[in-house]
Order: sequence, then structure tokens, then C-alpha cells
Amino acid sequence: MSSSLSHPPAHLPPAVALRISQQAPITLRNPPSVISSYSISSLWSAAETPELWTEYENLMLSCLRTGDEQSAHLCLERLTERFGAENEKLMALRGLFQEAIAKDDAELKQVLEEYENILTKDPSNMPVTKRRIALLKTLDKTTEAITALNEFVDSSPTDAEAWAELADLYVGQGMYPQAVFAMEEVLLITPNAWNIHARLGEVLFMAGSTGDSSADKYLGDALRRFCRSIELCDDYLRGYYGLKLTTSKLLSILPQASRQSKSDSGLALPDLKTVERLNETATAKLSEIVRKSVNGEPGWGGYEQAEVIAAKALLDSSAAKTIR
Amino acid sequence: MTWISKSVTGLGLLFLAHACYSAHEHSALHSTSTAALSSIASHSTTASNVTSLPIDISIETVVAVFVICVGLVLGSPELRPIQWRVWAGKIEREGEKGFMSSDGTVDKDYVGNPFRVLESRPGFIDIRKQRKEFAEWVREGGVAVGAPKS
Amino acid sequence: MAQIPVQTIHRDPQLFYWILIPITVVMILTGVLRHYATVLMATEPKKQELPAIREQRSLLRGINLRTNANVISPASFQARKDYLVNAYERGDFLKDPDKKGQAAANPMTDPAAMEGMMGMMKGNMAMMIPQTLIMGWINAFFSGFVIIRLPFPLTIKFKSMLQAGVGTRDMDPQWMSSISWYVLCIFGLQSVFNYLLGSDNAASQMAQQMGQMGPGAGAQMFGPGVDPDKQFKAEAENLSVLAHEYTLEGVEDRLLETVRV
Repeated sequence: MSSSLSHPPAHLPPAVALRISQQAPITLRNPPSVISSYSISSLWSAAETPELWTEYENLMLSCLRTGDEQSAHLCLERLTERFGAENEKLMALRGLFQEAIAKDDAELKQVLEEYENILTKDPSNMPVTKRRIALLKTLDKTTEAITALNEFVDSSPTDAEAWAELADLYVGQGMYPQAVFAMEEVLLITPNAWNIHARLGEVLFMAGSTGDSSADKYLGDALRRFCRSIELCDDYLRGYYGLKLTTSKLLSILPQASRQSKSDSGLALPDLKTVERLNETATAKLSEIVRKSVNGEPGWGGYEQAEVIAAKALLDSSAAKTIR
Repeated sequence: MTWISKSVTGLGLLFLAHACYSAHEHSALHSTSTAALSSIASHSTTASNVTSLPIDISIETVVAVFVICVGLVLGSPELRPIQWRVWAGKIEREGEKGFMSSDGTVDKDYVGNPFRVLESRPGFIDIRKQRKEFAEWVREGGVAVGAPKS
Repeated sequence: MAQIPVQTIHRDPQLFYWILIPITVVMILTGVLRHYATVLMATEPKKQELPAIREQRSLLRGINLRTNANVISPASFQARKDYLVNAYERGDFLKDPDKKGQAAANPMTDPAAMEGMMGMMKGNMAMMIPQTLIMGWINAFFSGFVIIRLPFPLTIKFKSMLQAGVGTRDMDPQWMSSISWYVLCIFGLQSVFNYLLGSDNAASQMAQQMGQMGPGAGAQMFGPGVDPDKQFKAEAENLSVLAHEYTLEGVEDRLLETVRV
């Protein structure tokens, strides 16, 4: 199986997902030896590996995404055959399958009820709790989802995934201080995750762009978060992008900002010269990354196409501004 | 680089084999000669009579081991980055290609950015939204990427 | 080319067919049997109730905060510290708050702990019983047989290892007795089992894997006989004396120094 099957499919581009699910019938042609009926050849076939079942799970998600329900159902059946219907994770996967094939909101509500039934029987079933929250979100009951998620992180406060989801829900509601709090919890669990630092920077930047009184404080924090994300990861496109945006914004408001305004974190806003130098560095780095990536230089091909295009657009627009 | 390392290692192994053979021959010759000399005396003295090896055999052994070490070190693959930022930068900058071995397969333990899960969040996946997005993408004329190399 | 005179012992070739091969086959079959017996006897790890999970993870959260405090700003850290220290000292996260202050239960009477011990016992039993049986079988039937001559020379030190049960002083250590062959089989058959049963006894591992994928199966933080309340108190103390140093302080200067365009 191809390597991309071992990644969770949510962040794969649609083209790759389509390719994977088109291959699904071939992949699924032979049942794995563990659950097939006993034959002499199973003595020689390779032993089952944990990766195999991860791949099945990811294949199922990809198939559901592309609408290949038959293959997805086959995956689900095989997983059930191997791990039993009572497995917590499989309960969640089955619910996911029903969500995907549901035709209207009424059917979705039925699935929701089913989740609630499972949860009253066994409140410690984490995967189903998560599915229930995700379904609430799908049904546009965001406030309920946030309440449920808050209960969830109270009983399981070391689940970084849940904190990150909570942060996203808060951002969607425009409640930035709460979102920042949730992001900080994620960082406490994974202190070196450079993309989470960048994400927190983005949240802070959004909070700083709303234009209320403490905007410059947020922007200063955002600047430092982006700096940290770059410090943790060389040539981090997203970090430089955010750094450039933030510094440009800060440069426009810094002259008016009161010098005494102490930021909440106890750190004062960086002085004008530092911000300028950071802006120059970010611009230079961004153009270097864009140039090398567009030219397809060896060792620079890992960036996502959309991100490179966005960086290019940002560079072009700022260049146009300076010419004017 | 590989053929250099292989030939150096092979040479070292050859030296080592030769040294071993010499040592074996030496001890065998030595023990029979002493046994022949003192055949009237008891048989059990052979073990204590083995004197030290000639210096050239020892030198050959040491040199052979050294040459093998050099050969193996020459042939070792490129070291992985151990600094967090360099490693992370390599993941972001090179993607899968940076972790391919020479025969075109991606390293088995390569997972990309391990913290990406925190943003895609498979536990909270919104499958209906994904399906909708995918359908839109198809309507806009998306096609699967070219021949898969699985 | 010189030759050291070799000892020769005339053996019945039937020894080979009726001792060496049966011992080996029996060893392999027992290994396979033991594997499946272990799989069958393995009990599912007991599911934890939600309050127990909450108790463990809340403590973990405090530990996380203590180790990674430097990534958040002093104000956020202070707020979290105050909250957690207060909650820990009040015992908010305890599984059963009423039991606070009581001595920990005796681990022998705690059914959950007993179960874990039984699991260990079963594993040991599955190892011990077949070995004792086979050892007795070999001792009863084949003790004192010299069954094989190793094709390479060995020093005298190996004599005690290879000729267990044979009391001859002058025999060359290349000769091997039946009990020694059995011992060698115990240690040497691991790779054969790996080949037959999949590496590292795949079946037992796989069942755990699906459980671990979800966050449900937390490691047993509190061993039997440990009072969670005491652990919370200790953690509260650790937290309240922690010195905080913000990573983001001066990050922009550090960045400007290290990044070269």
C-alpha cells in the first residue's frame, strides 16, 4: 500500500484522496490472513502488522470522503470482524459511516440519539464522545458542542486533540481569549509543536485585528509566537507568512501606540527597529522560499502548493504597496 | 561512495580471515611440534606450552579490524538531524522526498509533521463537510493525480 | 597440516532419531501451545470508570503544566497554577471525594489489584508448568545420553554447560548431553517462534493496539496502595514552588541572531 495511506486522510489534498479510493477495490480484493478462513498458505503469509489496520481505517475515511460507500463498508466490516463490534473505536467508526450516508438532518438526529444511548451506558467511551461533539458541530449546534467539549476536557484534560478542537470552535464564535486559553493548553501538552505555535499566533493575530483597545498587545504576542514557531522549525513558511503579516500591521500602528502599554504577558511591545528588521527578514526569507519552491530546486519541494501561492500573493501585494 | 566502502570492507575482511588462518596454523604447528618433542612426557602439557603469537599476526589483526571499521563508517547512510529545528525544517521543506532511501521508498517511520494531527483532528472529523468539499472539487474538474507509485 | 587427535565415541545412530528430534519437536510444539494458551488466558484490561480517568489525567495535567510551564506567559501560568493548586488541595479531582484522608486500601484486598497480579501469575504459570513437565520427561527417559557432537572445537569451560547430567571428566566438550540440548532449545527457539507465530507474539499485541488507539486506556498511574490524595498534595506543592521563565521573552532577538538570509 502506498505510504500516504498511513497518514490520517483529513489533510490529504482531494486528488490524492480520490486516487486512494480508486485503488480501494484492488487493495481490498484479498482479505488479510488473520480474518480469512484458515488455509495452509496462511502459514507463509506475512504476519499481521499494526499498520495494516491503521491503513484500513484511513482507507475507509478516504472512501467515505470520495463517496465510495461500498468500499468503506467493506473496510468497516473487516475491522469489525477483527476487533469485534464492542470496540470503542469501532463504535465511533460505525457512527461516522452512518453520518456520512445519512440523507437529511432527521437521520443525523437519529445517529445523535444512538451516540447518546451508547454514552449513557458507558460514559467513559472517548471516541464516541468525540463523534457526538463533531456531529453537534455538523448540525450547527455550536454552543452545545462547546458545552459538551468543555465537559470532555474537564474529565480528560490531557487530550490535546480535544483542546485544539475547542480552540477552533471558540475562534469560530469569535471568543478569542477563550481560544487562546485552549491553545495554550495544547501547547502545555506538546510544547514543541511548531504548527501549534503558529496557530496560536494566528489566533492572536485575528484577535488583534478586531480593533479593540488591547489590539497591540495581542499583536505583540502574535509576533513572538510566530518567532517561536520559526525558532522551532527552520524555513517554516507558515511562520514567516504570519510574521510578515504581523510585522506589517505592527509597523502601521506602532508609532501611535502608547509606549507605556504593558502587555499582559509582562513583555513590552518590541521596539520599532526590531519589528522593522523582523519584517525585512520575513520578506527576504519568504521570497527565497517562494523562489526556490517555484523553481523546483531539490530539497525544497515539500511545501504545499496553496501555501506557496498565498505567500507569493502576499509578497506581490506588499511590493506593490511600497512602489506606490 | 558505496563501492569504495564495500571494497574497503571486503579488503579488511580478507585481512582478518588471513590473520585468523595464520593464527590457527601457528597454534596447530606449535602444539604438534611440542607434542612431538615431549611425546614421552604426559599429553596434557600442550595447553600450557602455547606461546604468544608472532607480532606480525597481531598487527595484521588490528589493522584488519581498523580497515573494516573504516569501510563500514564510509558506507553508513547520511546521519539524521538531531536538532529539533533542523529536523522540523527538513520535514517542512523537503516533505516526503527528504526521507526517501535510494530505492525510492519513503522511510517506514516517516510521518510528516507529527503535530499535524492536532490540526486535522481525526477524532472530530466532519465527514459531511468533507464530502461536500470533495463533490465541489470534482465539479470544478479535479482529477486524480497521475500514475500512483505504490 | 597438523591435526590434533580427536576423540571418537561410537554412538548408535538411532540416538539421533529417537532423542534429538523428539526433544526438538516437543519443544517447538510446546512453545506454540504456550503462545495460544497465553492468548486465551489473557483477560481484557479492565475498563476504567470516568472518574478514575479524570483523576489520573488531572494529575497528568498538573505534571504537564510543571514540565512545560515555560511556553505560556507568566499571567496564564499564574492563573492555571492558582486553579490547579486550589483544586488539588481541596481534592476536587478525586475519584471518590468522601474517602479523602483515609488510608489507602490494602493492595491484597483491592480486587482491581488482585486481577493484575492474577494476570502476572497466569503468565508465569504458562511458562513454568510446561518447562517443569518437559524437564521431568527428559530426566526420566533420556538422562545421561550423549546425543550429538558439535562440529566445531570448544574450550573446556563449555563442559559444564554442554554435558549436564553426564559425569565424565575427560570427555571432549564437543559432546553434548540430552539435557543440555533441551536447555539450548529453550534459549535458541525464539527465532523459530517468531517465524511461526509472527514477531513478538503478534496476536496478543494486536488486541491491545485497538484499545490504545483511543485515549481510553490510560496507563495505570496510581499503582495499588498509593493514595491519590497524597499525590495531588505533592503535586500542588511542586507547582507552587515552581519558578517560571517565559520562553517567548527575547525570542525576536534570538531569531534575528540565528536566521541568515
